[in-house]
Amino acid sequence: MQKIMIIEDDPAVRRELSLLLENEGYQVLAVSDFMDILSQFQTFDPDLVLLDLGLPDEDGFTLCMKLRNISRVPIIFITARDSSMDELQALNLGGDDYITKPYNIPVLLARVKMVLRRAAGTQEPDRLEAKGLSISLSGGIACAGGQTIELTRNELRIMAHLMQHPGEIVSRTELIDILWDNHIYIDDNTLSVNITRLRGKLEEIGLPDYIKTRRGMGYQI
Amino acid sequence: MTFSKFIEDRLGRLLLHGSLVAGAAVFLLLTGTQPGILLLLLLLWGVFFVGSQVIEFLRFRNHIRELASILENLDRKYLFMECVPKPTTLQEEILFDLMRQAGKSMVEAVSDAQATTKEYREYIESWVHEIKTPITAARLICRNTDEKTRRKLTVELAQIENHVERALYYARAESPEQDFLVRQISLEDIAAEALEHHRSLLIQSGLRVETENLAHVVYTDGKWVCFLLGQLLQNAVRYQGEQPVITLSAKPLGNQVQLTVSDNGIGIPAHELPRVFDRGFTGSNGRSRGGSTGMGLYLCRKLADQLGIQLDIQSVEGQGTRVRFTFPASH
Repeated sequence: MQKIMIIEDDPAVRRELSLLLENEGYQVLAVSDFMDILSQFQTFDPDLVLLDLGLPDEDGFTLCMKLRNISRVPIIFITARDSSMDELQALNLGGDDYITKPYNIPVLLARVKMVLRRAAGTQEPDRLEAKGLSISLSGGIACAGGQTIELTRNELRIMAHLMQHPGEIVSRTELIDILWDNHIYIDDNTLSVNITRLRGKLEEIGLPDYIKTRRGMGYQI
Repeated sequence: MTFSKFIEDRLGRLLLHGSLVAGAAVFLLLTGTQPGILLLLLLLWGVFFVGSQVIEFLRFRNHIRELASILENLDRKYLFMECVPKPTTLQEEILFDLMRQAGKSMVEAVSDAQATTKEYREYIESWVHEIKTPITAARLICRNTDEKTRRKLTVELAQIENHVERALYYARAESPEQDFLVRQISLEDIAAEALEHHRSLLIQSGLRVETENLAHVVYTDGKWVCFLLGQLLQNAVRYQGEQPVITLSAKPLGNQVQLTVSDNGIGIPAHELPRVFDRGFTGSNGRSRGGSTGMGLYLCRKLADQLGIQLDIQSVEGQGTRVRFTFPASH
């Protein structure tokens, strides 16, 4: 399990953020004693630090420098300060990302995932396989039973997400969020159109009903 | 200042002088001075008198010109009294002292006002940063409520956030010191940030977003431009029509870059178009749909001016609105 350390002085945000990340399957340490953060850091040894800029004793910038002296752990700044100057300083001090409050929860989770993946050096696999279908993300194609079809960027992203969660029900809002994370600005209607086209294409290569609709809940493969 | 004005100003003195000389001449003539000598005296007097007047005029004119050029070259005109040369005449010295006292009190008043504005602005900035933490907490807490409540609350929270952002940028736009940071940044990144910021608003309103050819680099403050785009996105949602679409596209224009944001919303009536950038102007659409503050586009214009971005708007009622940003050339 990946470990995330939260350094945030507002108790409500701290509590809710920990809950959110725990629900997402991370192990979380939310610092509530700001006196000796460095030793808490060394004991917990996190894979990622979420760092607020405005802290009671020393500010996030100073703390970031201290952390950088002893570790190369990924650091995401989470702050209400939104000027370009603050962001530049944060990134110059070795921050990996900079998110301003109030953040969208899906955006926050996507950024956390991205920074963790980058730090681990793992890349998204290019080839995905599930239930008799395989797709190539770089080639933009899907194959089944020796037949190949080309997929558009949107279709590819939808398929990739469904295939990463075989058997699970994926809601429409979740799919829309995933597409937005990939800078595909899709709305509910366009999603329906894309799913319909995708189904048509899958039917061509002998996979009708590959994507099942779960009424009122979403899609499933 | 002309010579005739100069003479006019001292006409009384000159007439007195002239009549005294005339009186003296009559007296001398009556007491037996030879007319030839008298004529010589009058001639000598005349030359000296006219000469001295001309010299005085030239001196005076130079002095005035010097003062005028000092004022002209001053960035802050109210500091004039601090910069003028030391007075030479008694009258000037007294005036100078009085003016200086007046000037001093003016400078104090101005710097007091500036300090107050600065403090106020700093308070607004810190207040905005403070309020963002509870909004964040509320957003996170929202997650635990049922889907319907969450959606509604998310929309309301986003509204609060947008109002707060406008207050922050209002404070920034009104202050003379500019605190933006011009950097090389791609329009793609700015657009992505603005869209991400308004993600829930855009998804829930069913507005389709299209981006075209945004791979252009501009030199500007990304956060400010992100705020400007945000205002346009909010407007596109508020004034949307049937099957709403907003398109963000860019093209090079010489060595400048032009970003166009166009929507197919209800548009702006032609007679209201010239006033949309005015402070507090809410058009007939704003009044009928509600929720308009009259600040969004005003702030856009103001911030764009400071960033050196040219902003123009075109709209056809019932068809849509197009706003173009022309970014300054890179150096």
